[in-house]
Amino acid sequence: MTTATLPVRAAHPKGWWGAVIFVATEATLFGTLVGTYVYLRFHNAHWPPPGVPKPPLLTPTLLTAALLLTSIPMYIASRAAGAGRRETAWRATTAAFAVQLVYLVWQLHDYVHTIDVYDPQQSAWASIFVTLLGADHLHVLVGVLLSAWFVVRISSRLTRYRIVGLQSTAFYWHAVNVITLVVLVVQLSTHL
Amino acid sequence: MAVVERIEHLEELWLERPGVLGWLTTVDHKRIGILYFWTTIVFFAAGGTEALLMRTQLAQADARVLSPETYDQLMTMHGVTMIFFFIIPMTTGAFGNYLVPLMIGARDMAFPRLNALSFWLFAGSGIFMYSSFLIGEAPNAGWFDYVPLALRQYNGGLNVDFYALGLIFNGAASTIGALNLIVTIFKLRAPGMSWNRMPLFCFALLAASLSLIFALPALTADCIFLELQRKLGFHFFDVAHGGDPLLWQHLFWLFGHPEVYIIVLPAFGIATSIIPTFARRRMVAFPLVAMAELLVAFIGFGVWAHHMFATGISTATLVFFAAASMMVVVPSTIQVYAWLMTVNLGTPDFRAPLMFIGGFIIFFVIGGLSGIMFAAVPVDQATTDTYFVVAHFHFIIFGAAVFPLLGGIYYWFPKVTGRMYDERLARWSFWLTFVGTSLTFFPMHIVGLLGMTRRVYTYRHGLGWDAYNLVETIGGFVLAAGLLLIAFNIVRSLRAGELAGRDPFHGGTLEWTVPSPPPHYNFAVIPTVTSAYPNWDARAREADLRRLERGELVLDGGHETPATTVNDAQVTEILEMPPESPWPIVLALAVTISAFFLLTEHYATAAGFLTLAVLTLAGWHAQEPGEA
Repeated sequence: MTTATLPVRAAHPKGWWGAVIFVATEATLFGTLVGTYVYLRFHNAHWPPPGVPKPPLLTPTLLTAALLLTSIPMYIASRAAGAGRRETAWRATTAAFAVQLVYLVWQLHDYVHTIDVYDPQQSAWASIFVTLLGADHLHVLVGVLLSAWFVVRISSRLTRYRIVGLQSTAFYWHAVNVITLVVLVVQLSTHL
Repeated sequence: MAVVERIEHLEELWLERPGVLGWLTTVDHKRIGILYFWTTIVFFAAGGTEALLMRTQLAQADARVLSPETYDQLMTMHGVTMIFFFIIPMTTGAFGNYLVPLMIGARDMAFPRLNALSFWLFAGSGIFMYSSFLIGEAPNAGWFDYVPLALRQYNGGLNVDFYALGLIFNGAASTIGALNLIVTIFKLRAPGMSWNRMPLFCFALLAASLSLIFALPALTADCIFLELQRKLGFHFFDVAHGGDPLLWQHLFWLFGHPEVYIIVLPAFGIATSIIPTFARRRMVAFPLVAMAELLVAFIGFGVWAHHMFATGISTATLVFFAAASMMVVVPSTIQVYAWLMTVNLGTPDFRAPLMFIGGFIIFFVIGGLSGIMFAAVPVDQATTDTYFVVAHFHFIIFGAAVFPLLGGIYYWFPKVTGRMYDERLARWSFWLTFVGTSLTFFPMHIVGLLGMTRRVYTYRHGLGWDAYNLVETIGGFVLAAGLLLIAFNIVRSLRAGELAGRDPFHGGTLEWTVPSPPPHYNFAVIPTVTSAYPNWDARAREADLRRLERGELVLDGGHETPATTVNDAQVTEILEMPPESPWPIVLALAVTISAFFLLTEHYATAAGFLTLAVLTLAGWHAQEPGEA
């Protein structure tokens, strides 16, 4: 291979671009879900329906704050991996993974309770609310699996493939955190 | 190392396993493109047969060839098949896969294994959807599956479940394919191929892929809502529980109208490839056409409610969407004039591919003119759900989308197979399909204005519709004869065609610089691009040969291809591409089985197979490129 005569420039790798496009389509999916929530809201005089308690505020807000903070170690992990600092990347990914896992387990536990209280078979409000929350948790689950994968994969060594994978996962996490924040705002909007 | 030795080394590096196993595990974009091609041809034949059965039923008044239930299923599956299992996978899957890397000077797609996954998921979704016929419960609520008809209380079988799950599944395949095309175009263009030098075909595929990325989630969400309502008793579409049936339509058309451009944009791309070659000059207004292709896709997202003018939505909404619909005319017309002026200013050679493009322009203008009429709200409301609408969209979907595909099949046949098609038979096939299309779809305008509504399985004698319907049916069979003649020409030429050589038509883009059929590695030396028509750029091609002799940018250290910057295509790194892999087909199989269990409400088993799919991903990513 001879590339010495070519001007080689630094740029985002194709894996990062793949993550960007993937996030774009997922963000559109959430846009559709939130749009549906708003659409149905304008077709109902009472939202949530009478007799249905408003969603809790405190726990989801604290959990979301904790999840948002994991963007920091994911950012550090991404930068460290790019610079070849495997140990730092591993530690940051592991720290993020631990918080993400706790968030997911807690939220899934609460989700089972949510379905009990807000039975989606009772109203359009409960249907879209439960669907929106479920879709968010599913995306967090995917992120947790990705984080777990990189905790294992970069524990021994860094390869180009793993570095790009970790950077793309970090990007995915930033997006999931923003989506989770949007879902929280939707949840809080019932109190306005 | 001598040139011959370098090429032999590349052959060894990129050679894939022979036989059936090789096809099942391939990640070569050309083989995946061929898999897409033949699979979509099978679906096209199925969709065509469904159409002929419907036309036979409608040839005479009060006919009893098909029962109403069978007609409903054939009508729905005809639409679903032609859109989701023929045109999109044929354009983005077959043409896009095969041609984009060759046109941009890459050795494969950006994500070869994802590419294979996209195909196998598509094939799985097709098998899933068509297996519905085995139990006599094929989708039956029309291709746009309106609620409340599609709800469980009015449609109790599995018909609509096949539709919704099949389209979620198919949408995943299309999304993966579109993502791959976008990143390939962004990152794998040959050194020097800045945006202004990228083939217009790739612009069209880029526009269609971006549209898919942003349009499909609406359909996916819609189908998920429908399945949650049908299977688990959620409420999205029923007024009694706070839902709204129009929600389905909004979300469906939020996908469905961009879908029209997803279908026709690649066809525009094919036209902009064929016209310069046979007109023997560059496209007129190259940058304007590129921008128009992207603009059509963009505006396509703001016009969905023009499919809903008769649903009682507010006047303000009607006016907004009517105006937005008229705007689409501008970028579309830019392209029509650019095609016509290129032919006019060139020295056209009307061989079969260009004849099909001529037919396409005629049909596109006719379909476009009837399309503009729908932007006038009263006309739309008067003709909604009549055969006038069926005429319009068949002129667009068959005339404007499929005709360039047929021309494209002839145009790139020599490149893909290394052999020439029979030109005389090709011309005959053009005239048969042209006459067939006109006879089938033009009278539908008239019969629609006479009051014949869509989706009726029969009609009474004496309404003045009989003769038109008979002509349409005769036209349908003439069209089928034309298509069969194309198939015959292809199959015969595969064996008996003359050897085509590298560049039989003197095309302008990079695929014509490589042998026919292209070798596994595509390019012996990665080309450097200095113009929009690099094959007409003799100096740059001679420079490629000199670099091949020197071993510069031959990239024979492994499965290598260069990655470049997004805007000006300067080399950023040399990518190591993965070799063939069994994981994509295994993953697609797990997802397909899971879909069947979801259909039959065995959720735990479905979850088990989805978990298997996730585990498959672990095997997939454990095998890193360069480590095989």
